[in-house]
Amino acid sequence: MEKDEKILHHSLSVRLFHWSLVLGFLPAGFTGVLLFLRPFGDDMMHLAMQIHIAGAWIMTIGCVLFFVLCPGRVARFWQEIFHWTKDDIDWMKVSGGYPHKILLGREIEVPPMGKINSGQKLMGIMVFFGGFIIIITGLVLYVALPLVPKEIAWYADKIHLIVGIALFLCVVGGHIPLGIYNWPEFVSMFGSGLLSKKHAEKHHPLWMDEIEKVK
Amino acid sequence: MQYDYKEKEVKINRREFLGFIGVLTAAIWSGLYAVTDVFVDRTKYIKMRTAGLYQDDEKQAARQSHKNKSLMNMYKSLNFSPTSPLAEELFHTHYIDRSVL
Repeated sequence: MEKDEKILHHSLSVRLFHWSLVLGFLPAGFTGVLLFLRPFGDDMMHLAMQIHIAGAWIMTIGCVLFFVLCPGRVARFWQEIFHWTKDDIDWMKVSGGYPHKILLGREIEVPPMGKINSGQKLMGIMVFFGGFIIIITGLVLYVALPLVPKEIAWYADKIHLIVGIALFLCVVGGHIPLGIYNWPEFVSMFGSGLLSKKHAEKHHPLWMDEIEKVK
Repeated sequence: MQYDYKEKEVKINRREFLGFIGVLTAAIWSGLYAVTDVFVDRTKYIKMRTAGLYQDDEKQAARQSHKNKSLMNMYKSLNFSPTSPLAEELFHTHYIDRSVL
């Protein structure tokens, strides 16, 4: 029987960074929605704010460490998310075939993808810019509120709210369900970082040119 | 961790590097320009507001409240004095620290 070879899909630094986003962004996002809707009393809302701030710090420190310690991986991420071809447009037109698979129970032909698919590229662009914006505006609101002009504080508040909620909805409504649906990829990101070569050949055919045998 | 394949080393060509630096510079430059603009505007408005208040002050015939006849008439007609408990109750304001949210 042929051995099922493994590919290092996500290195340890990437997995740790992703964990920091999970442990930072998700609590900050949930409490952010609570802070917006204010459904509870003062004590509960105060606790939500403390969790929001703690989550924001985890996410910010994770991002800074990743950018400083893994610039090569950041550059690769840039290359991946901003490299769009006609295949990506065609992939987006059929939503990667996910509605057919999930709702109709049948598979359709989809254009070949690299390490990440077009939906993940779009998500990557949103996370990159959205994350940057919510971190900067959040810092303005948290550490610089008495120092900045009211106009900047007002815009920082509104931008933090709108971008934060949009990003949270995309992550909770799209990224997480689809991540769990693609179970081998989910296990790879949260656990070993490995992916079977057979799976990669089927789902990431273009990526096969970018990998090399370990000596 | 045992694996058979890994990704090739990242290679960034000159065009990508210049593009990245260009976008970064443009973003930082525009951001700083916008923020500086707001600060300059704020300083301008504060100075204009201060000048307006001084101008109003100079135009006033009675610049102190105890010399303001209309105010003194009000106290007289309502039969209480500026430092009385009723004046305290009606006009005194309290400081609220709003710097800590």
